Order: sequence, then C-alpha cells, then structure tokens
Amino acid sequence: MAKLFEDTDKYGYQSDFPIVEAYNSAMKDLVRKRFAESGKQWNDFVADSAYDDITPADIANIEQRLLAYGYRFEPSAMSSAIERPQAYKDSGLHDADFCFEHDNAPTAPIDVDGRELRGAGDNVVTRNANVVGIARYVRTSDKVLQYLTDGVPVDTIAIVDDSGGTLTAPILEKFKAVICAGGTTRSHLAILTREYGIPCFMNARLSGVKEGDKLELEAVAKAKSAEDYANGLDVSGKVWRINIK
Amino acid sequence: MTDINITYAQLLETNNLIQQNADETYWLCATRTVQESKIFPVSAYILFSYLNCFYRYPTLLRKIEAQMSAEEVGDRARNQGVKIIAWTLPCFYLLGREMLINWGVIKPTDAVADVAYVLDFWKRFQLSWHRNNGNITNKQAGHRAQIMPEQRLQVFHADAFECREGDPLHKAAQSFMATTAQYGFLVSCESRLTMHNHGPYKIADNREMLVRDFRELSEYDVPWLDGVGQNIPYNNLTVTMVLENCHINLLDDWGSFESEPEMRSEHMVAVGLYTADNLTDGHIPVGMGSKEELTNTFNDLTERVKDATGKLWKEMSGWTRDQQLDAGALTYFAVVKELAHIAGVYEVDDWMMIDERAERFRPLLNDEYGNLFLGELVGYITTPSQRMHDYTMMQHTGQPARALSYFPYSILDDGDYTKSVGPMRPGSSNLPPKSDRYRTSEGVLSLAEYNRRSREFVPSTCQDRYRFLCADWVKYHYDTPLADELFNLEQKHSRLLKGKGAGLLRADIEKLRNGD
Repeated sequence: MAKLFEDTDKYGYQSDFPIVEAYNSAMKDLVRKRFAESGKQWNDFVADSAYDDITPADIANIEQRLLAYGYRFEPSAMSSAIERPQAYKDSGLHDADFCFEHDNAPTAPIDVDGRELRGAGDNVVTRNANVVGIARYVRTSDKVLQYLTDGVPVDTIAIVDDSGGTLTAPILEKFKAVICAGGTTRSHLAILTREYGIPCFMNARLSGVKEGDKLELEAVAKAKSAEDYANGLDVSGKVWRINIK
Repeated sequence: MTDINITYAQLLETNNLIQQNADETYWLCATRTVQESKIFPVSAYILFSYLNCFYRYPTLLRKIEAQMSAEEVGDRARNQGVKIIAWTLPCFYLLGREMLINWGVIKPTDAVADVAYVLDFWKRFQLSWHRNNGNITNKQAGHRAQIMPEQRLQVFHADAFECREGDPLHKAAQSFMATTAQYGFLVSCESRLTMHNHGPYKIADNREMLVRDFRELSEYDVPWLDGVGQNIPYNNLTVTMVLENCHINLLDDWGSFESEPEMRSEHMVAVGLYTADNLTDGHIPVGMGSKEELTNTFNDLTERVKDATGKLWKEMSGWTRDQQLDAGALTYFAVVKELAHIAGVYEVDDWMMIDERAERFRPLLNDEYGNLFLGELVGYITTPSQRMHDYTMMQHTGQPARALSYFPYSILDDGDYTKSVGPMRPGSSNLPPKSDRYRTSEGVLSLAEYNRRSREFVPSTCQDRYRFLCADWVKYHYDTPLADELFNLEQKHSRLLKGKGAGLLRADIEKLRNGD
C-alpha cells in the first residue's frame, strides 16, 4: 500500500466524529490503492490521472460498505429519507401524535392563573405583551402545502423544528407566533420573524405540548443577545399551556 | 497578474491571506449559527460547492482577468453593489482544498500557483472594493463596511423619505424587506447570499444609514427563477435605511449586522429605494418621486415577490435531493459569478454546472456526514489537517489548530509541488436547462447580447476621466469644475441634489432635507 503525504502528521491523527473519520479514512485508503496501482510519482498522479483513477464508482462503494454494516444516516432534509429509506433512519416527521419531549424543558404544575409551564425558548424580540394562540406543529412541506391551500388557521402558534427560512416561506407571515426547537436568535427564521414583526422563540425546550393546545408565550421576556449566548446566560421566555380542561 | 511566481515573498503573503481567512472563518461560523433546512441538505450542498470552487475558480477567475483586471472589476462592483465576495471567494475555495487534503486526494503542496493566484485576485478585488476605507475586509475595518464615496452617500441621504412606525411608507418598506428577505432565503436555497448590507454611514449624531442590497430577484442566472421571477421588474434592489437611536456596532464579511440596541421597527426613520447593475450608471432611483409613489412601489413589489415566493416554494418542494444538492451547491459556488458579468464573460457552462471532478464525490455527501464534516471543518476545527502543535493558540478559541492549511515554505528548496488542478472539466446539472433570458436594467436580454453590452459599457465614474478621483482628491479640490462634474454624475437622478455640485457638507444636506 502506498503512503500518502498526510499519513505522516505529527499533530493530526483523526477526526472527532466517527462517521467523519470512517469516510475520510476510506477515501485515503482509496487514494493509496489507486496511487500504488498507477505506478506514478505523486506529482504526475495528482495532475494527470487522479480524476480518471479515482472514479465515481469507487466513491459510491465507500457508502455501500458502510450501509452493509447496518449503519443508517441521520436525515436532515426531508427528501433524503424519503428517497432512500434504506440508507436513512426514519425522520419521524410524519408522526401524527408527535410532540417535543426535551429533557431540559422547564415544567411546573398549574399556577393560580391557570397556566401550566410546559417549556421555554430564546426570545427574538421583546414585545409589549405576551401572546396567546393555538399550538400547531408545522414540520413537513405537506403541512405547509395544506396551509397554503386551505389557509393558516387563525391564532396559529406554529411549532417547528427547522430554524431555516425556507420550509415555512409561503405562510410564515400568517402565523401569530412561532416556537422553534432549534437555532438561535440569529438563525434565518429568527431574522425573518423579526422583519415580519412576529413573536418568536428559538432554541425552544418543550414538553407535552400537543397539537391544538392553547398556549401563552412570554413575549415580554428579554430578547436573547449575542452577549447572552457568548456568556452562556439563560434569559429564556416561558411557554405555558392555558385553559386546561 | 494571472501568472504567479512562487517566491518566498509570494508564499509569505499567500499564507497571510490564508490565515486572515482562517481566523474569520471560525469567528463567522461560530457566531452566525448553523444553517438548517427541512427542504435542503444544506451542509451537504455546502461541501459540494467547496469542491466545485476548488476545481473551477482558478480557471474562471483567469478568464475574467483576461478581459478585466480584478481591481477594475472591484471598481465596477463598488459602483453597482455585488453579492458577498469578501469571505466567500477565498474561503469556499480554500475549504474545498482542505476537504481534499483530508481525503488524501491532494497535498498541501498541490495547486500552488492556483491557490496563490486565487488569493491574489481576491486581495486586489477586495482592496478595490474597500478603496474608500483602505481596508481589505470588513473584519480589518473593525467589522464595518464603509464602501460608498461621499457623492453617492449624499444622494442617498438627501433623497431618503422620512417615515415613522405605523405610517404607510414605514409599513410598506418593512413589509417589502421582510418579504424580500424571505424570498431571498428561498432563492438562495436557505443561504443569505441574496442579501448584502454595507455601512453604517453617519447621518447625524443619533442617526446612521444602512444600505441593504437585495440581489438577483428576477430571471437571471439560476434556472429556478425562469418564469418564477418573470414579474419582478428589477433584478437588484437597494434599500437605503436611516436608523435613529440605533447604532450598527458590527457589520461582518457575510454582510450581517448587529446593533445596539437591537434594531426594531421603530428605529427606521427614513428610507429610499434604488436599482443598479453592471449596465447602470450607478444607483438609479425606483419610485422615489414622492413619498406616496415610494409607498405604492414598495407595496407593488411586495405583492410580486410574494407571488414569486409561492411559485418558487412549490417548485422547490418537488425537487429531488440531487436537484436540491445541485441548486444549493451552484448558489454557493456561483456567488462570485457577477464578476464574470461585469467583465462580460459569463457562460452558463462555467457557472451553472458541477465540474465532473467534484461530481464524483456526490455519493459521499449524505446528510449526516455532511453535517459533521462541515462542523469539524468550520466549527470545531478538528480535522487532522487543521491540528497544530500544542503551543499554538488559535485566535478566538486558543485551541492548537488552524482552520486552513498553509503552503510549506520547503517547496522553495525542494521544488516538490504541483502548480495547478488543470483546466476545467465538463460539468453537469440535474436542474432544468437555463432559459436564455436575463433581466437587466436594459430589459430582458439574451446572454450573448448581455455579455456584449457588458463588455462595451463603462460607468461614468469608472471612465479614465473620473476613475481615480477619490475622497482624498475631493478633499483638496472640491471647489474645482472637475469636482462638480464628479458629483453631478451622482446627482443627475437626485430629487434634491441635481446640479448642486461638490461643495455641500452633510449638514447642508440635512438643511435641504428640512426645506431650509
């Protein structure tokens, strides 16, 4: 087996994440093999034939070997798991009874005002008053398309796990408020809700909030700033379930 | 400048440019949060784009310079605005290099002339773009982006219409910016590359102006806006936004800003709207005849952008993962393509295709590996190539690491290096073919016609007579006819400043605004 330039490295040994290391090591193995087979000096190999010698089929084989061990990838885009269910874990996005159960969600019994604490989030902008609305999970493009076609129900507090600005793009301005389980107050979704003037909690930690629950968001809470993140300060706004039957 | 001599001085400079980008890469990625999307495999397409940049930028930048030097392109860019070049051009390219080093596909001593050239191009472009503040990046300027000359800022200042929260113009402007930002995220596949900001510019003791560019909104280079963007009559729109009692304390090389206090709707107290491209003589006012006209213009544009957003979302949500991967990768890779338009050498096969050398790596780019490898490259700085000796203290974190690999100086002794990745290879795309329709300020043109006009047109301020009349010249010659000529070039479309010449100070502009 040929030795690569990078095989002699005083300071770097391997990547932190096992799957990164698995892939990168497999790539290096492939290059070592093809380089040895070429019989060339490196400068001729890399310039003249590395493309022809390291083929798409070789590279596809790396993934096939990993999948053959039973490994399944964590999906992030919906299309990934839909198109290749044999390669990805089930995303769970279409689970009708889904609700977030974050370990670090603050909870408390019903208080004197009839509010039950079910979570918290990083407030994007401090508002003049709290917001009350109905919890509705928006996790898939199918749900967005449904709302785009039928209209977003009034008083919807959208609960999303995608801090991006694209999934809810055509309906975002119709939400009364947004609770996002990911991201920070600098994420694209936070930028957009700020521009639209829609109350929004990012990085939300929730427990037991079901579709159709009536919620109150502590939108008057301090907005979480860059300094707060840098200093590790928790300045979360609260999420209550109200009018519990 | 397209042929680089590999000397000690050249390597010293190249490694310095690499390091400047390395430090800022970590800071930007650590402070700007992770991009996520349920629609796009974002990390995977970002990595894909880096590879395409590594294989194609050297050839494509040399092609631009065969027509126009990087510094002249920078002058044109300053005149019209561009997408984010500062960080993207060098870092997309260098991160592609870093990926390939970690895969063993190249060594740090490969493509030496290419890397040195790409960074030299970037340096000359950036110095030209930042000519009015003398820095190379916003970072070097203390995270500030004072790009425009006085004569254009005076026009922006003079003609901005006052507005207050709740009034029709304020509502219309806010709605336009929110809607267009949303559309921009969608157009650029969950990235912020459609939006760019520069400033702040001081307007008064308690007022600052932010210039917000929304770029490539109509039918232009990306095939997914064919038809979708047809009813958006301007490809680029620039909003001049005056803030009161809100200080922009940071504007980074991604064009993102922060303020103290956090910017809220009520801080915006004046606004203007312009368009510009490489065929306009600077910024052309849009709907700026009166406050009512501007309100109506914003509202009309907002409706058009909303309509396009709905159409585009439906189209994109039906894409295959390969199409999503291509669209995202091409959005990133082609962020610098406007430079090819400026030079009049833009070609679809150059900028809207994945080079076959990058394409072969597609099977590696599943969601999980994409997220974690990208995380190590730009967030954790933990891939083997990035680790350094234990005495090293990386800027910002102190960890023994370096985000981007240098050239070893030993190549000057042993000559053991390769110069280039070679010419471009054929490319491909899973997206529909691009229609030959390009929205410009001179109407919808074919690409051949657009390139022809681009090569022939020279904006007034870039013509030999005016090109080197900078702020330091104006300072000592403001009372000359030539200075008046220079200022009149900017003032010819101005509501308040037409023909006023070079003698006005900021306070004079404020008096004119107040009708004094």
